[in-house]
Amino acid sequence: MSIPFPSDEWIQDLSRQLHESASYGRSAKDWEGDFVFVVEPDGAYPNTAYLYLELHHGRSPGAAQIASPEDRTAEFMMSAPYSTWRRVIEGKIDPIQAMMTRQLKVDGNMMKIMRYPKAAKEIVDCCACIPTDFAS
Amino acid sequence: MDLTSGCVRDEPLDVVYAKAFVGGSGLAARYVYEMVDGSTDPLGPDNPLVFMTGPLVGTAMPAAGRCTVCALSPLTGIWGEANTGGFIGPELRFAGYDGLIITGQADRPTWLSVVAGRARLHDATDLWGKDTYAAQEQVRGLLGEPRARVACIGVGGENLARMAAVMNDHGRAAARTGMGAVMGSKRLKAVAFRGSSRVPVADVDALSQVTREAMAFADEDMSAIAIRLAGTAGSVDTMLMYGNLPIRFYQRAEWDPASDLSGVLMAERFQNRNRGCYRCPIACGRETRAPRYGADRVDGPEYETLGALGSLLMINDLEAVIYAGHLCNLLGLDTISTGATVGLACEMFERGVLGSASTGGIEMRFGDADMLHRIIPMIARREGFGDLLADGSAELAKRFGAPELAVTVHRLEVPMHDPRAFSGMVVSYALSPRGACHLQGDMYGVDMGQASEPELGIPAGDRFEVSEQKGRIGARSLAWSNLYNAMILCRFLMPGAECVKRALNAVTGWDLQTPDLLVLGCRIVALKRLLNARRGLKRCDDRLPDLLLEPLDGGATEARVPDVDVLLAGAYAEFGWDPQTGMPTRDTIDALGLRVHFKT
Repeated sequence: MSIPFPSDEWIQDLSRQLHESASYGRSAKDWEGDFVFVVEPDGAYPNTAYLYLELHHGRSPGAAQIASPEDRTAEFMMSAPYSTWRRVIEGKIDPIQAMMTRQLKVDGNMMKIMRYPKAAKEIVDCCACIPTDFAS
Repeated sequence: MDLTSGCVRDEPLDVVYAKAFVGGSGLAARYVYEMVDGSTDPLGPDNPLVFMTGPLVGTAMPAAGRCTVCALSPLTGIWGEANTGGFIGPELRFAGYDGLIITGQADRPTWLSVVAGRARLHDATDLWGKDTYAAQEQVRGLLGEPRARVACIGVGGENLARMAAVMNDHGRAAARTGMGAVMGSKRLKAVAFRGSSRVPVADVDALSQVTREAMAFADEDMSAIAIRLAGTAGSVDTMLMYGNLPIRFYQRAEWDPASDLSGVLMAERFQNRNRGCYRCPIACGRETRAPRYGADRVDGPEYETLGALGSLLMINDLEAVIYAGHLCNLLGLDTISTGATVGLACEMFERGVLGSASTGGIEMRFGDADMLHRIIPMIARREGFGDLLADGSAELAKRFGAPELAVTVHRLEVPMHDPRAFSGMVVSYALSPRGACHLQGDMYGVDMGQASEPELGIPAGDRFEVSEQKGRIGARSLAWSNLYNAMILCRFLMPGAECVKRALNAVTGWDLQTPDLLVLGCRIVALKRLLNARRGLKRCDDRLPDLLLEPLDGGATEARVPDVDVLLAGAYAEFGWDPQTGMPTRDTIDALGLRVHFKT
């Protein structure tokens, strides 16, 4: 059964997969810093959604869809229109390419992110494993 | 400047040349084309050494503080060019010149000053043998101009090591293709520039506007932000993730200790400060230290150095790699060719192709930083086994009967970007006018989204794609890069073709349209191609080395090997080159307006 994106269920499934992933665990073993993913409205999705993902030392202790970015304190915020998120999740665009071409914006300590590109790739790989139901 | 006779001649800029080939390495190639032929010895007096600026250099345009050093390459035998940052390019223009062409050969060590429109030769006997930092300092003192900008060679250039660099502004390097050896062959230790001439700008208001836009772009562009934060070294982790950073002489896909070479770690542990070039808002340069070796001020290392003197040699001791880069700077050696040639020697040693008898008893083993620190000065001084390494990889491999082990294209050592990770690099390497080069059509940057230019048909795409279309994109990227190296604008500022076009028009008074940009780039590439044909380059030389066409086990390249023929077919078609001869067709020569320049 597929899981709608964006949703509380979807981000929790991602959290679960990361928590169990040995390769993510290796590549992010020293990582500390939670994320809020902002799904911005576009022609394919009319709302704004916020997905909070807790990440700590190669594990993901928790996640939730939140109503506002102020609901949780996160070190990083990553924003993109819905259709860009879809392309990233489906593996149709490399997340670094999306960042460099400003399709995906990141707020937070860039130096820290630059040290862990492999962990970012593992997150995207886990996203691709979620049976996702996109709105369109 | 003719060093044999000591004569200096001022020549006005040839405006026909400039409109056709812009400046920088394009304009230099146009001049050199007239001055050399197939028999010109790159280390002989007839090989002209050119310091050339471009129309944007020294203007208000950001990231236009560069200079190119060009000549026939003693390492490759074909066209050589090396681009350097710092302040030397603008200062050459402030001294009253767009470029400097040096011919002949001095009868003793010499240095040249160009101050406020006046060129003078000086005796350099006391400078000969000095390291590049000391030489720069001493020249400024001798000139009595503490703010003069100096380009010089080190011991490597003096001894004609074929990978010798020209160094300026402390540790900035015109590193590739052995321009330092050409300078050494002329017994020219240094050139110094100083002046206060105004750089001509046709439309100051238009340039002010485009400058503001370019500055604003640099503030927001993710690539510029990343480079500002951690320099080129900051990309080590990302390149590892892509499988782009070569490991163990281009033969391993993964090696976890390579992440010890991270530019982020370098910034945390060894960085003194950032250093920027003339009017650059990015300031990619890094000043570091290696206290264990008593080096408290080191320029760099750049990403390429961390790869060539680090992961390529299986050395993950960051401080040791920083020091190895420092040695190359002091001695005036290209870190890429030095690292790749040492790597080849290690590979040959471990395969038994080389024995201790040939190396003078030195154990050429991967992972040995002490060996690296010992061998670098030997290369520069051409001492013992270093004398063999000083001729570069292609010569070393050939000498010991293993040419298939050299990882070179057109005899230039391959930089730290693996074409198995970014297929478009096949075109960048195989068709680069100077041999394997990551700055002439940097397709890894295109497919990472850093160097894409959709307005010109250079979009970011699938890094593994192999198609004629990908080859065409690679050709456009190569043309665009060659225009960058002609204007001269740094590749780390890419505010878009429209912005660049307006900057060029504002400075020159030309009326270029956006499609004209690629025509200019293609014309420059074709010119260099014809020059290389004159030097003996053939279609069959457009190939990748065998080791880069072997799939790697595991890792991020996923055992892929790009199809060279498919990619090159697309590139030849895009350039309008005959796929059989690899040379511009007569129609292409006409379309590019080259026939008026040459009898072909």
